[in-house]
Amino acid sequence: MASGGQKADVTVGVLALQGAFSEHVQLLRQAAQILDSKDAVKRHWAFLEVRTPAELASCDALIIPGGESTTMSLVAQRSQMLEPLRDFVKVLRKPTWGTCAGLILLAESANRTKQGGQELIGGLDVRVNRNHFGRQIESFQANLDLPFLKQADGKDFDTTQQPFRAIFIRAPIVEKLLPRVAGPQEGEAKVEGTVVAPSRPIDEQVAKSVKLGDVEVMGILPGRSAALKDDATKEKLDAEAGDIIAVRQANVFGTSFHPELTGDPRIHVWWLEQVRQWTEGAVHP
Amino acid sequence: MATELPINGGSGIAQNGSPESSFTVKTGLARMLKGGVIMDVVNAEQAKIAEEAGACAVMALERVPADIRAQGGVARMSDPKMIKEIMAAVTIPVMAKARIGHFVECQILEAIGVDYIDESEVLTPADHAHHVEKHNFGVPFVCGCRNLGEALRRISEGAAMIRTKGEAGTGDVIEAVRHMRTVNAEIAKASAMSDAELRIFAKEIGAPFELLKETAKLGRLPVVNFAAGGVATPADAALMMQLGCDGVFVGSGIFKSGDAAKRAKAIVQAVTHYKDPKVLAAVSEDLGEAMVGLNVGLMDAKDKMQGRGW
Repeated sequence: MASGGQKADVTVGVLALQGAFSEHVQLLRQAAQILDSKDAVKRHWAFLEVRTPAELASCDALIIPGGESTTMSLVAQRSQMLEPLRDFVKVLRKPTWGTCAGLILLAESANRTKQGGQELIGGLDVRVNRNHFGRQIESFQANLDLPFLKQADGKDFDTTQQPFRAIFIRAPIVEKLLPRVAGPQEGEAKVEGTVVAPSRPIDEQVAKSVKLGDVEVMGILPGRSAALKDDATKEKLDAEAGDIIAVRQANVFGTSFHPELTGDPRIHVWWLEQVRQWTEGAVHP
Repeated sequence: MATELPINGGSGIAQNGSPESSFTVKTGLARMLKGGVIMDVVNAEQAKIAEEAGACAVMALERVPADIRAQGGVARMSDPKMIKEIMAAVTIPVMAKARIGHFVECQILEAIGVDYIDESEVLTPADHAHHVEKHNFGVPFVCGCRNLGEALRRISEGAAMIRTKGEAGTGDVIEAVRHMRTVNAEIAKASAMSDAELRIFAKEIGAPFELLKETAKLGRLPVVNFAAGGVATPADAALMMQLGCDGVFVGSGIFKSGDAAKRAKAIVQAVTHYKDPKVLAAVSEDLGEAMVGLNVGLMDAKDKMQGRGW
């Protein structure tokens, strides 16, 4: 939380409708301390649990945590949060990071949803495959090489050369990178068993400073899908090439694993640094 | 949630498949369920209603506790066919119950692929003295407790999640409150103790010393803790959340009520917005008949399920 009751320079919300939001808040606090110890200029960060449109409106950036995406989506709808979230991510293009369930909600297209589908927020031109690896018994940990941590802007992350111990719980993966289109992903809507997010055009003012490029692949998990038992899933993927488990497109970042379950704040430090640059109007990716 | 649960996941380069790594994955799913409602369902149709209402998981069982109570007899693990139908009907995690100490029922549930096993006092116990050794399983376990000692014994056996027991199938929240308050009070007491005092307290409550010490330091249970047993209304659910639990199990309270879908949705909203009385008032409106319920104060001790478990 902001110290000394001063107005915060940057307010980061964590969507607290359901799931592991408290874990993100804890890591954000750690990450802010690390950034503070490195930068000459101290910033007043505020970290906020977000359950209402008013709380969301006070945020400069947002994390959508792990949890059950079906639950979050339904609760968001019934709490009048769905449209404000779409505005935040797609119209105002504020920095947003989704982990696991959060990644699903931020995808423009998702498959293997519950019968009758589910509402998505969208923002990332990707298709995610829910519960890709199977049920809980297939949940696992893996050491990941994340290039963006190594290249983090010359910043001295103490353990830069260490792999990131990533935890995958009934995790989704990015099954397909989609072309950027004006309007909804209509091609995707025709694919059997997928749901797509509704399109929301970017705000005209915001569009002057934000360039919406293609989706960047930020992390790969090698070789895991090659061991999958489910042949139908395997066929659709180039399993040997590895699974896409981290992506970014303009303001939106998504990981299919749970950095919030690891005692390792490196990704939170990196992301807060991105948020700082974004809110200070530096060049947007 | 009164107290946050510190992150204890591995960092650095732990070995794949090490016990520590496996426990992180087991407790990880419990953390993902927090702030949510887990609903008892007896068939695929109810499971879909629960999913549509926003349940973060369902508990597959043959009879809800209220019916087990009414019908009597020995209550066992459900038919795997029924559990598989429920698993096929929904995409949210599916839990299932095994009898206390019945490790073969647990092996069967693991083989089917359920996401969590509840070693539950709602079923008739299969062992007069032992609980299942839960560390040996790949699937995570949730277990009931009435007090801190019971909770820590279950965690030491390998439970990755705890629920306070309450009194299942009654719709009377008093026991859920009693157990939550008991756990909270014992943790508060332990937190003020020296190591020497904690050793005596550990003996008194039958808890492993190291786990008790960790709990005292954290000021809360070291794993996710849901409330269970008697939650029937949105207000009951929010009450348990304000008392400090991480989420809520609702058993008979939903499908023994007049309008199950509406009540289920209302309880889900109440758990998210548990601190906001205006939302609680709005979702409590016009829910129809709550389950009739049994007054626990008028029950015989032999009729209570909470005493099962050792």
